[in-house]
Amino acid sequence: MNKLRLIIAREYMSIVGRKSFIILTLLFPFLMIGLGSIPILMAELNDKGEEAQRIAVCDETGHYATALPNDDKFNFLLIEGATVTDANEFFSKEDNGSYYNALVVIPREVDSTGVVNIYSKGNIIPALESTVKSALTDTIENAHLAAMGIPNLQEIIEKAHVNIDVRAIKLSETGDAKESSTDIAIALGMVLSLIIFWFVFFSGTMIMNNVVEEKTNRIVEVVVSSCRPFHLMMGKIIGVGLSVLTQMGIWIVLLGIAGVIGGSLMGVGSTVASPEMIGAGAAAAPEVESEMGSLLRQLMSINFTSIIINFLLYFVEGYLLYCAIFAALGSAVDQASDTSQLLTPVMLLMFFAFYAAIGCAQNPDGPMAFWCSIIPFTAPTVMMVRLPFEVPIWQIILSHVLLIATALAIVWLAGRIYRRGILSYGKKASFKDLFNWLK
Amino acid sequence: MAYLDISNVVKRYEGHTALAGVSMQVEQGCIYGLLGPNGAGKSTLIRIINRILAADEGTVTLNGKKMTDSDISHIGYLPEERGLYKKMKVGDHIVYLGRLKGMTKADAVASMHWWLDRFDLKEWENKKVENLSKGMQQKVQFIGTVIHRPPLLIFDEPFSGFDPVNAEQLKVEILALRDQGSTILFSTHNMASVEEVCQQITLLNHAQVVLTGSVDEVKQQHKKNIIAVQTPDTIQPHPEMFTILPPDPVKKNDTRIKLAAGVNVRDAITWLNEHYRLTGFTEVLPSMNEIFIETVKSKNLENNE
Repeated sequence: MNKLRLIIAREYMSIVGRKSFIILTLLFPFLMIGLGSIPILMAELNDKGEEAQRIAVCDETGHYATALPNDDKFNFLLIEGATVTDANEFFSKEDNGSYYNALVVIPREVDSTGVVNIYSKGNIIPALESTVKSALTDTIENAHLAAMGIPNLQEIIEKAHVNIDVRAIKLSETGDAKESSTDIAIALGMVLSLIIFWFVFFSGTMIMNNVVEEKTNRIVEVVVSSCRPFHLMMGKIIGVGLSVLTQMGIWIVLLGIAGVIGGSLMGVGSTVASPEMIGAGAAAAPEVESEMGSLLRQLMSINFTSIIINFLLYFVEGYLLYCAIFAALGSAVDQASDTSQLLTPVMLLMFFAFYAAIGCAQNPDGPMAFWCSIIPFTAPTVMMVRLPFEVPIWQIILSHVLLIATALAIVWLAGRIYRRGILSYGKKASFKDLFNWLK
Repeated sequence: MAYLDISNVVKRYEGHTALAGVSMQVEQGCIYGLLGPNGAGKSTLIRIINRILAADEGTVTLNGKKMTDSDISHIGYLPEERGLYKKMKVGDHIVYLGRLKGMTKADAVASMHWWLDRFDLKEWENKKVENLSKGMQQKVQFIGTVIHRPPLLIFDEPFSGFDPVNAEQLKVEILALRDQGSTILFSTHNMASVEEVCQQITLLNHAQVVLTGSVDEVKQQHKKNIIAVQTPDTIQPHPEMFTILPPDPVKKNDTRIKLAAGVNVRDAITWLNEHYRLTGFTEVLPSMNEIFIETVKSKNLENNE
C-alpha cells in the first residue's frame, strides 16, 4: 500500500508539477471564452467595417416599399416612378451597375402570388433576403387583414393569440405533484454525460501515452523490480485520475469566482440562495412568478443529491473500466504511433457509449436507454442522461453492481496484459498476443 | 547452504521453454557470473529472482528462506533495459527509487546525498535527468540501484553504455560493495569483465545450465594441455610426447606445443629444457571467451544431431 501511495504521488506530481499543467489549467477558461467570442467579434467587425449597401427598390404596387427598414446594413432606395421589367437592363444602365448592390422588385400581383424578386450582379447576401422577407410578410399580412374590413381586428387577434406553456408535472408514488422540466433535465443529463466521456477519454489517452513513455524510457523494468506491475498500473491510473480531478476542481473554483464577481457586478445581492429561501419565497408569493422563479423551481425538482452521488460513482467506475483498458493497450506497444490499430475498437466503443447517451436523452425510458444503462460499457454515459428523469432504484443498483464487477474484472485482466506487455519489446503485439498474455 | 539457491526452475512461454530446470548456487559475498548467448534464458532467470516473473516450477531461496515479495527490498537490480524518468530531478528520482525499495524518506535523502557526493554529481541534484550526459545518467542509474544497500545486487550487462573511465569507476564501486559483504550476480556477454571480477560462473544455453563452477576450475577443466615456449631454436615434433601447433596469430614468436595424452607439463618441460635453449614457457589456459564459444558451439551441435 505504501508503494502504491508513492507511485500515485509521483504520477500526480509528474503531471500537476509541470509548468504547462499550471499554465494550461489557468488559461484554459480564458482560452475558451476567447475562442467563443471570436465569431461574435468577427461578425461585429464585418458589420462595422462596411458602409450600408444600397439596394434599389422597384415597387410596382406603390405602397409596400416603405415597409423596408433602412438600417446600417441596408439602404433601400426607391426608384421613383420607374417600372423595371428587365433587371439586366437596369444594371446595364449607366451608374446603376456600380451604384446599387441589388435590386428588389415588388411586383403588382404580390398580394396574390406572394413572390418578390431580388436581383444582383454579385452574390445575394442572406441577410438581405431575410430582411426583405420578414418586413414584407408582416406588412402584406396586415394589409390583407385590414382589407377584410372587420372592426377591432387587431384586438381580436391579440386576444385569440396564445402561447402555450407546457408544464410537465411528475406524479410521485405518494401523489405529490412536482413540476419538472424536460429541457432542463435533458440538458443536465447531457452535460454530465459529456463530462464523464470527455474526462475518461482525455485521461485514458494520457495514461496510455504515459505507459508507452515508461516503456520507451526503459524505466519500467527498474520500477517493477521494486513493486508489483499491478501497483504501477493502478498508481498511474489513480494518479492521473487525481490530477484530472484537481484540474476540474480548479475550474469549478474559477467558475465560482467568476460567478460571484459576475453576480455582484450585475447587482444581484444573493447569487447563492439556499433552497429554503427559494422555497419560502415561492410559497409566500406564488402568484408573482417570474420566469427565473419557475426555472429555479424546476431545478429544485431534480434530485441533485442522487445525481451527484451517482455521477461520482459512475465517473469513478467508468474511469477505472476504460483507463485500465488504455493502460493495457499502452503496455502492448513500443511507441505511441503503434497504438492506433489496438485503439480503434476501444474508441468505437467509447464513441458508441457517447452517441447512445445522446440518442437515449430523447427517450430516457425506452428499451434502448434501459439496456444501454445496464450494459457496463455504456452505463456511465447513458445512465447520466436518464438520472434526471428518475430511474427505478433497482435499475440503478443493478447497473452499478454490473459496472463495478466488470470494471474490477477488466482491471484484473488489464493487469495481466500489462505485466507481460511492459517487458516485451521489439514486436508489435496483436490482439492474439494480448489474449495469450491473459493466460 | 548457499545465499541464493535456485533449484530446478522451469519457465515456459507459449511456444517455447525459457528455462528447463535451471539450478544455481550463489555463495554469500562472491561475484557470480551468469553467462550465455542471447536467448539462453538469462534475463528470464534474473526476472524470476527479482520476482518480476513467477517460475512455473522450482524454488528460489534467499538466505535459506523461500523468497517472497518482501525480499525484493533486499535486491538491487540494474536491468539491461534501463532508463530513468527524464523529467524528474536527479535527487528526487534517486529518493523515489530508494523509497520504492522500502527506505524511509530521511534515509533515502541521506543516502542520495552520500552517493551523489561520491560520484561528483552534487551540483546536479536539482537538475532534471534529461539535462545530464549519458554517462552521468548511467551513474544516477547505478546510484538508484544501490541506494538501499542491498545484500544482493544483480547487474545485467552493467558495463554497456559506459565509457572506459566510467566503466572502471563502476567496477571499483562493485568490488567495494562486494568487500562490504554484498553478493553480486552478474549477467554479461563481456568475457573480459568476467575473468577480471567473477569468482564463479554459470553458463546457460538453450534454457539449460551447460557449465558451472569457479573460474579457475572451469579453466583447468577446459585446458587443452598446450604450452607456449619461448626459444631461439626450432623445436621438432616428438610424436610420443607432443605435436607442434601453428603459431598464435598474436604471439607469433611463441612455439605452441600440444602435449600428447598422459604426458604432464613438468616432464615435457624437463625434456625440452634438455634439448633446446628455453628462455621461457607458460601453460596456455583457455580464455573464458574461448570456453564460452566452444561450449555453446558443441552443445548446439549435440542439439542438432
